[in-house]
Amino acid sequence: MSRPRSQAEYLARLVPPSVAGINRRSLLAGAAGTGALLGTGLLAGCGDDSGSGSDSKNVSVGSNQSDPKPKDVTAKVMDGFKTSSGIETAINTVDHNTYQENINNYLQGKPDDVFMWFAGYRMRFFAAKGLASDISDVWGKLSGFSDAFKKASTGDDGKQYFVPSSYYPWAMFYRKSVWKQYGYQVPTTLDQLTALSAQMKRDGLTPIAFADKDGWPAMGTFDILNLRINGYQFHIDLMAGKEAWTSDKVKKVFDTWAGLLPLHQPDSLGRTWQEAAQSLQQKKSGMYLLGLFVGQQFSNEEQDDLDFFTFPEIDPSIGAKALDAPIDGYMMARKPKNKANAEKLLEYVGGKAAADITIKNDPATLVANTGADVSGYTALQKKAAELVGSATEIAQFLDRDTRPDFASTVMIPAIQQFIKNPKDIDGLTSSIESQKKSIFTD
Amino acid sequence: MSTATVTRRTEGGAEGPTRRKLTPLRLLLHGFLIAVALIWLFPIAWAVLTSLRSYEYTAANGYVSLGGWTLDNYVTAWQTAEFGKHFLNSVYITVPAVLLTLFLASCVAFVIARFSWKLNLVLLGIFTAANLLPQQALLIPLFRMFTEVPLPEFMSDSELLYDSYWGLILINVAFQCGFCVFVLSNYMKALPRDLYEAAMVDGASIWRQYWQVTMPLCRPALAALATLEVTWIYNEFFWATVLMRTGDKFPVTSSLNNLRGEFFTDNNLVSAGSVLVAIPTLVIFFMLQRHFVRGLTLGASKG
Repeated sequence: MSRPRSQAEYLARLVPPSVAGINRRSLLAGAAGTGALLGTGLLAGCGDDSGSGSDSKNVSVGSNQSDPKPKDVTAKVMDGFKTSSGIETAINTVDHNTYQENINNYLQGKPDDVFMWFAGYRMRFFAAKGLASDISDVWGKLSGFSDAFKKASTGDDGKQYFVPSSYYPWAMFYRKSVWKQYGYQVPTTLDQLTALSAQMKRDGLTPIAFADKDGWPAMGTFDILNLRINGYQFHIDLMAGKEAWTSDKVKKVFDTWAGLLPLHQPDSLGRTWQEAAQSLQQKKSGMYLLGLFVGQQFSNEEQDDLDFFTFPEIDPSIGAKALDAPIDGYMMARKPKNKANAEKLLEYVGGKAAADITIKNDPATLVANTGADVSGYTALQKKAAELVGSATEIAQFLDRDTRPDFASTVMIPAIQQFIKNPKDIDGLTSSIESQKKSIFTD
Repeated sequence: MSTATVTRRTEGGAEGPTRRKLTPLRLLLHGFLIAVALIWLFPIAWAVLTSLRSYEYTAANGYVSLGGWTLDNYVTAWQTAEFGKHFLNSVYITVPAVLLTLFLASCVAFVIARFSWKLNLVLLGIFTAANLLPQQALLIPLFRMFTEVPLPEFMSDSELLYDSYWGLILINVAFQCGFCVFVLSNYMKALPRDLYEAAMVDGASIWRQYWQVTMPLCRPALAALATLEVTWIYNEFFWATVLMRTGDKFPVTSSLNNLRGEFFTDNNLVSAGSVLVAIPTLVIFFMLQRHFVRGLTLGASKG
């Protein structure tokens, strides 16, 4: 009986140190110690970083590369910049998801001088709002970028706001050994794809692996079908809210997709892309439309067995030259503390030296600069670089080509709804259209 | 152990020293309580279990299996998310915020409880009503305000309230004060008035009445509140994510996101990280369990 009471008293003494006096029990002393540490810690913590920005040998970089490997590569690239220019960089790494969700706040607050971001609509969106600086001057000094990359770095006003650093393509991936075993040929038209899928079904394979639990992977399927059926310009205009979702063109995309759905892995809403990729890896599925990162689900020995082809042509007048290849890169804040240094850094990260460092340290990336030494690429990477290099237009993936709120609050549920019930295309498209109108107001 | 003592005491008051008989109804009650406890424990147990297994094993065999035991997730989580640094950040925010909240709240509560003014009830009402306000609704005005308020450089390298520990401490203090005032004022109202009369006769000033008469008597309430507040402020991550710009300054709850990959999230690793982040709250809870329950019921019974 007495124990809890004394415990209560004992604990009560610890808590308000101001009340309890100066030296009560050891724990209180500990608490006071923490307080003292805190005071000095805070000051020290602030002291460490103070002076950044005011010094002319500094530039700060906001980075969303929080995965261990890319984080390490970023640090190495910045080291390279320091060696070549003598300018110190302060890297501010925030995890990828938080960075993305907070970008609006971040850019309106006090952003770092240079920050990592995505090409395409998401770049143009902030450029148009005046939250990023025009870096056309830097582009004048850059070389080694294809026109498609320059187009992807250009804002609505025709000026450049973005320096590409890396990218990855979306394509149909397959295992060479499986295709060899059954004697499959790469399809170049939709009919061939359907015929091949039918053959795979007879051979006991799931033709196309498919997953949409997280909402975004199926966007890739919509993108590529729209690009093949209606072409790049229509796709971009549709994403920018300029075209009607109720048009026959969009309905045709969903119609075609509905026809292809039986060839996809069923119950996709309960599957993550990792699981779908594993079905490809375990030779249960024949092919899978995904980004190059699908290779993460394959062991090192299996990497050589992985191959891909670009999604086949649907309309001969449109061809099969456009694709999704999200580009990551750097932008400059609207009011960088040190503009000259920021521009030097942008020139460096867009150059060959930075690309070489990236290739050497992260074999999973494709670098945007074609002047880089690509002898370290695997066969798959070389092929991917060729595919993107030969692309006439590069889309950035649905959630990067449109407003983020439209992508996440309208398109994710809409596509999942479509997968559940592919029959009601009219209802689906009119629902998307009405929601689009409430989002694209300006 | 302490809970057991408490239960016995309350039972003793109602029924005398004899133990209760095991009726079917009581059996049902205990069956229900055990079931509820299991449902509550399940997610935590599941997280701990998951965190102790390697991703390769669970990827191959599914989560409903046993095997692949490893402690690597903890090591990797600690290193990848840089928990050491972020735990310290959490301390920087939580400790001053809790101390300041308790001090300010006790001042307000003292005035409300000790003096009878016309505005007493209104004041208490305002403080309590602020609890009902959804914090997210204030996001934009607060964000704008924080980016406009300058701080000297020695206080924060951002030279703004935005992206500084001061800002976060302020926010936490502001949002937690309401609840603390409510609880403390109710507690203080229950203190006998004679004490103050005696103190006045002895010539104690108001400050002295507050500091040397009221505060020592409020220790149990302050202890209970401190326990609760530490947990709440420590668990807060929304404002830290929104009002901080520098990844290195995030408290540990916000830095948990570092474990999520761009395309691929290793759930086992995230489980290990979550368990690590939850440990301080669990320690506080188990050590100060009694205060926890009291903190939640204090205002209710003494008002």
